[in-house]
Amino acid sequence: MEETNFVLLWKEHYQKIDQSLAINQRLLKETISKKAESSLQSLIRFKARGIVIAIIYLILLGTVLFFAISHYLPAANYFIGSMGIIFLINIKALYDYIKHLVWANNINYDGSITEIQQKLSKLQLSIFKHSRIMVLQFPFWTTFFLSNKWFPHSVSWGYIIFQFLMTASFTWLAYWLYKNHTLANAHKKWVKILIGGSGGNAVMRAMDFYREIEEFKFGG
Amino acid sequence: MDKLSNKEKFVQLIQDNRGIIFKICHSYCRNTSDHEDLAQEIIYQLWRSWHNYKTTCKFSTWMYRVALNTAISFYRKEKKETPVTQLTEQLINIKEPEIPPEKEQHILLLQQFISELKELDKALILLYLEEKSHKEIAEIIGITETNVATKIGRIKMFLKQRFSQITM
Repeated sequence: MEETNFVLLWKEHYQKIDQSLAINQRLLKETISKKAESSLQSLIRFKARGIVIAIIYLILLGTVLFFAISHYLPAANYFIGSMGIIFLINIKALYDYIKHLVWANNINYDGSITEIQQKLSKLQLSIFKHSRIMVLQFPFWTTFFLSNKWFPHSVSWGYIIFQFLMTASFTWLAYWLYKNHTLANAHKKWVKILIGGSGGNAVMRAMDFYREIEEFKFGG
Repeated sequence: MDKLSNKEKFVQLIQDNRGIIFKICHSYCRNTSDHEDLAQEIIYQLWRSWHNYKTTCKFSTWMYRVALNTAISFYRKEKKETPVTQLTEQLINIKEPEIPPEKEQHILLLQQFISELKELDKALILLYLEEKSHKEIAEIIGITETNVATKIGRIKMFLKQRFSQITM
């Protein structure tokens, strides 16, 4: 079939259809007024809930940390150090949550297709990336309760070895998770469990689509 | 412009351009039962972006942007949202026109071959078939005019090949 025929065929077909199309005015008005939520808005809602939870959690951590610093005792060094790092990691997580919110709010579908679709893919990839940093706090949950007052001089060798093995294994686990929690492993079951539900598949699709758009934009 | 007249104007523009929504739903949804959901989503997104619409840009160009972006996102979504209205009524009603059998076969084949294309290529060919200029296509898709020409050339070649395979 000749290329002009494609256009002609399409035109003829849809001209006939156009004449017979009728829009249901009542449903149209209902759609405009009732459909209050889009998928992005539900993401915003989800993220807003996350922000409230993260803020409460950070307030708790911050209060404890503030109290420890303002009533500083050398015995609390482990606690201050561990809690400080946990606090910073969680601040970063909150920052990511807010970043997602801002992105989601800024996405308006009237931009060019490549621009909007890349923004949407980036949003999904960022959700995946941000969850990675959270694992770095694991080892610090094994050290926050230690105190210079009794550790290591007042404990047995057995406890020191136990503490060392526990912190080392959590450090290794955090390192391993951080290193392997990559886009390349997004299809793996443990990553999907870590990021919840079928998020892994969505991330894979977002990643493939992002690449596809890049090729589409710059490929000949 | 007061809110009511703004809404009325929007409804009128949707009414005038209902064919765009129909064609996009038809091209992006494999499953006919999804047509209604996509049509609702497109109209919702158009209304959501309506306040951004500037008359410096053609309404159809703006509408294609929003509608195609919605269709591509909808198509890629794993879970479809529940439509607002789950009635037996349809947002866009169509009385199937009578088409000569040979033409019907050709249009069905063309639609089938278009459905085999990737989402972005599908958007390109839809705009091409709608006789949009390369400049307008470039504006809607967000690539250069040269890139538009190259890609359309490739897609046309693909369609020709698919047709020749069938008719051989």
